[in-house]
Amino acid sequence: MKRILLIVATTALFNSSVAQAEVAVIINNANASAITTSDASRIFLGKIKSFANGNKIVPVNLPAASTARGEFEQKALKKSASQLKAFWSKQIFTGKGKPPKDLGSDTDVINFVANNANAIGYVDAAQVTDSVKVIATF
Amino acid sequence: MKITFKKLAALSVATCLSTTAHAEIQWNGFASIVAGQTTSSGDTLNGYDDSISLEQGSFFALQASNDLGDGLSVTAQILARGENDWDPEFEWAYLSYAINDQLNIKVGRQRAPFYMFSDYLDVSYAYPWISPPKGVYNVPFSKLDAISATYTSTLGEFDVSTQLIYGNYDGDVTTDDGTFNVETNNLGGFSVTVTRDWLTLRGAYFVASDTNVMHPVLAETADSWSGAGYNDVASQLLVAEDEAVFAELGLQIDYNDYIVIAEYASLEIKNSYRAKEASYYVTLGKRFDDVLVHVTYGKDDDESRVITNDVASGNVQIDALKAGTDAFMRTQEDDSSYVTLGLRWDFHSSAALKFEYTDYSNNINAASDANLFRMAFVTVF
Repeated sequence: MKRILLIVATTALFNSSVAQAEVAVIINNANASAITTSDASRIFLGKIKSFANGNKIVPVNLPAASTARGEFEQKALKKSASQLKAFWSKQIFTGKGKPPKDLGSDTDVINFVANNANAIGYVDAAQVTDSVKVIATF
Repeated sequence: MKITFKKLAALSVATCLSTTAHAEIQWNGFASIVAGQTTSSGDTLNGYDDSISLEQGSFFALQASNDLGDGLSVTAQILARGENDWDPEFEWAYLSYAINDQLNIKVGRQRAPFYMFSDYLDVSYAYPWISPPKGVYNVPFSKLDAISATYTSTLGEFDVSTQLIYGNYDGDVTTDDGTFNVETNNLGGFSVTVTRDWLTLRGAYFVASDTNVMHPVLAETADSWSGAGYNDVASQLLVAEDEAVFAELGLQIDYNDYIVIAEYASLEIKNSYRAKEASYYVTLGKRFDDVLVHVTYGKDDDESRVITNDVASGNVQIDALKAGTDAFMRTQEDDSSYVTLGLRWDFHSSAALKFEYTDYSNNINAASDANLFRMAFVTVF
């Protein structure tokens, strides 16, 4: 009986997370770079550092507590928050890279991306405005 | 070529501190506070004994890096270890130049990339155990004054990172035999890491053509052999201008909630008293939310050498010398294994608590069997 309850509970949890809003990866409207879904993930893991035109990519994060960030990390980066923390501590202490900067909110990310030609961010898909271009959703 | 570390360290620190007008210094740090104790009275293992120790394995580190622009950056890392009375030491101090997104050159004191976890050897937060298994991680030094090039590329779905390094080490090391000076010159080699999603494969190979170990007791014994006309035995005993060869293979799988880590390493210092060492470990783990439970099995197999085969018997003094030398050479042999049960709890977004119990058994000398319990608070900041 306990087991069944557990299954019901986890299914409910799983469904509720599916029901959560999609996450949209956004870039500047003027940015003509072709970026695949897999590129988008690699950019946020510091594995791609420049756009095809050679410009340095500036990725930005939502705040650590945001639901959309958790969704993005789980779906696009396929890592839990603690796995990512461990990943970035490896990068930092080997001099290989720094994690994207955390901004304050969806609006902050949209504004930052709208005003920076080389920026890339992700936000709750429902919040996206036409001041930025969506290149992938998760 | 010898890289003079002091100049480089001074330069990198000076650059770190003087260029604040151009860019800000990024400070990062990590620390491990480890308490450990063997479970039976009189037992010792990996530097622990039967009284609880907070010094062994504990340390604080602070890293400063400064991006000077145009791909140039300086990094210095200072580390203070409990077992060295918390004396702070420069672990790293290097100048790094990113020629492009793929190629990076580092000059200065940096990590010797011997093992899979070498690059973040002390950043316990980045791996499951309190520290990587000692049986495999046993090259007694971990940093080099060197020049290295790291090339990162993609091969289909694989990320490939190749590092070439050339440099030297000169400093005191502590091994089971005691503390003595080691100088290794012309150390060159490479490591290759291939990663795809949940899979990481690694290999490394190093040769140091001029390795010297200043072992005072051995020096006396070697003098006696030379005095008796056996220069060859003397040179077979000492580590003097000898060639050292190191090889490593590693595997990591991090698939959903399961992890597998395995690593093999071998080290041989040719024509010396050192045994030919081979060791491996395999770790399996499973994550349950914030808790990772893991088990490690490891084995060490060091084959000792006999260097007195050509010594004629009959002379009492030489027989005694031979007996003493043979006995010493046998102490270099190792046939031991260990099982470690561990738990890691990520109770905080930048800190974890770790618990480990190790059951060590020595097949040559059962008297050195021991059990060790350790707990650690590890953090990155």
